[in-house]
Amino acid sequence: MELLDWTLVSSTIRMVTPILLAALGGALCARVGIFNVGLEGLILVGAFSAIVGNHFTGNLFLAILIAALASVLFSLLFAYMTIRMKANEIVVGVAINFLALGLTTFALRAVFGVKGAFYDKDMAGLPRLDIPVLKDIPVLGDILSGHSPLVYVAFIAAILLYVFFYRTVTGFRVLAVGLNPVAARSLGLKVTGLQVLAIVMCGALCGVAGAQLSLGQVTMFSEGMTAGRGFIALVAMMMGQSHPLGILASSLLFGLMDALSIRLQGFSLPTQITSMLPYVLTILAMFFLKDKGQGSSNQQSTR
Amino acid sequence: MAAVKELGKSLVQPLLAVVIGLLTGALVIAAVGESIVGTYQEMWKGAFGSFYFFTSTLARATPIMLIALGLSLAFRAGVFNLGAEGQMVLGAISATLVAVYLPAPGMIKLVAAILTGMAVGGFWALIPGFMEARFRIPLLISTLLFNYIAVLFASYLVTEPFRDRTGSAALSQTVMLDKSVWLPKLFAGMSVHAGFILAIIAALVLFWVIRYTPFGYEVKMLGQNPLFAQYGGINRIKVMLTGMFASGGLAGLAGTVEVLGAHYRFVDGALTVPNFAWTGLMATLLANSNPIGIIITSILLAAFQTGAMGVERNTDVPLELASVIQAVLILFISAKFSYDWWKKRKTKGGESHGAA
Repeated sequence: MELLDWTLVSSTIRMVTPILLAALGGALCARVGIFNVGLEGLILVGAFSAIVGNHFTGNLFLAILIAALASVLFSLLFAYMTIRMKANEIVVGVAINFLALGLTTFALRAVFGVKGAFYDKDMAGLPRLDIPVLKDIPVLGDILSGHSPLVYVAFIAAILLYVFFYRTVTGFRVLAVGLNPVAARSLGLKVTGLQVLAIVMCGALCGVAGAQLSLGQVTMFSEGMTAGRGFIALVAMMMGQSHPLGILASSLLFGLMDALSIRLQGFSLPTQITSMLPYVLTILAMFFLKDKGQGSSNQQSTR
Repeated sequence: MAAVKELGKSLVQPLLAVVIGLLTGALVIAAVGESIVGTYQEMWKGAFGSFYFFTSTLARATPIMLIALGLSLAFRAGVFNLGAEGQMVLGAISATLVAVYLPAPGMIKLVAAILTGMAVGGFWALIPGFMEARFRIPLLISTLLFNYIAVLFASYLVTEPFRDRTGSAALSQTVMLDKSVWLPKLFAGMSVHAGFILAIIAALVLFWVIRYTPFGYEVKMLGQNPLFAQYGGINRIKVMLTGMFASGGLAGLAGTVEVLGAHYRFVDGALTVPNFAWTGLMATLLANSNPIGIIITSILLAAFQTGAMGVERNTDVPLELASVIQAVLILFISAKFSYDWWKKRKTKGGESHGAA
């Protein structure tokens, strides 16, 4: 087995999708001054709801929609607690994670009557899209074609978010809220509304991330299947400085390390060191890029 | 007297939250079609039903309590230390290595291991503190990142250089510690160990420090009004760094006593899987950072967890019942807790800085 080949890139792209989607959601929150540690829980809710949706409707599109809606519902709870009740966002995020883990486990029992994991061999997962002309090009075809539709959605979402932030009026307003909520409010911007909007969009993105996890990569749900991806997304968001294209790059790095560490197991090399690399790089990046795109992150420092 | 009153006041809210948490738990139990009363009976039995289960609850509360105490100190100084997990794991692995390899008699080795665990946890917490002080890199983020590095590094140490290769077990773990460095059990055959006593002592010391020492006063002032504190001549960086060191040291101690008193070896994942760090954060919040309150809330949260294990053993209700109850509890507390804090801020003249 080669250490580096083109299938490595292909599997990187597949692994990166849930992280990328969730990190974009986290960036939306960060840009309105909210540090959302609840990504993990939101993805988990999405993953479960996607399976429920698929089981009862048999329609993949509806399943993704249901996943997004369920996560939005959860994110509304987050929004209510942080904005309306002025609760500390870290605390609420932690609670959301625990709540999601607990409720999905109970719902798994209540809806499907099973423990641990739900798997149905007749359930269809997300199809692989073969892009007509592209798939025949030798290397590019292997890399870019044949992924689940949500993989493409994720990359498009990153570009759309970039356009949203830097090319639309609402996007500018969202950024203004994050930079200085008081000034934004005195300009007549609806700060609360924009914050809720960002949190809801974050919920939707996390829901889709969950759907990719449970329907795209495998076709099953198991308890706690997010396995820390929400926190990795959080780190990818920090490393990307909450900039959509930066996040695209940092997520790809995480995905590559992930794919690489699986590959390294075949070479009996310590995988922990490769897994550690993105975190070390993130810390180093913070030394150089600390003044850009801080969102809520600088609140801690000023206190 | 005032202390008792304050403690009582800070316990009313958590008690109400516990009731609401249990009611929510009842809802989800009903949703899976089990008996609510029966389940809660099992939960009670699993946590306090016999002396054995009671001591298991105390054993589980030990690391939670130590972590919570550390976090409360950082929290009081106005810094959010999210790195307890890494500080705990790194402290634990260092203490284990000292306990295994230091050529010294048992008692000295034990003390050395505990001190090493605390020092390593403390220094690991000091690095993000220093990065915040010197380079203004937000502590909130750096502590979170440091967790991964610490956990992965410890995992590397026990899968490669220090792995126990004598047994046939495929687990990544160090060799078993010599009996002479084991922390003694408090009761023969029961799981609670001397670490619990250390945790109680730590709580009392912290209570004393916060209430009666100049440092405690500085921490309190800094947490309540940083600008005023700085104006009053308090060295913010010094207090913050000291707070972080103590906070990390207690987290390191938590990991150390868990190894020396319960596992007797460092097993990869054994400290991270039970989620001690986040539970510790919850215990701090529930107790509103009051050290004596933390003793109670840690035991309470541990009781939910050991109780839920009993529930899972004897009924069809899953273990995650504890997660649901804890989450609701925290949501309820956080709203009230921050509301108070915010109100205090507002009446002080509406400083717009700081996290709402």
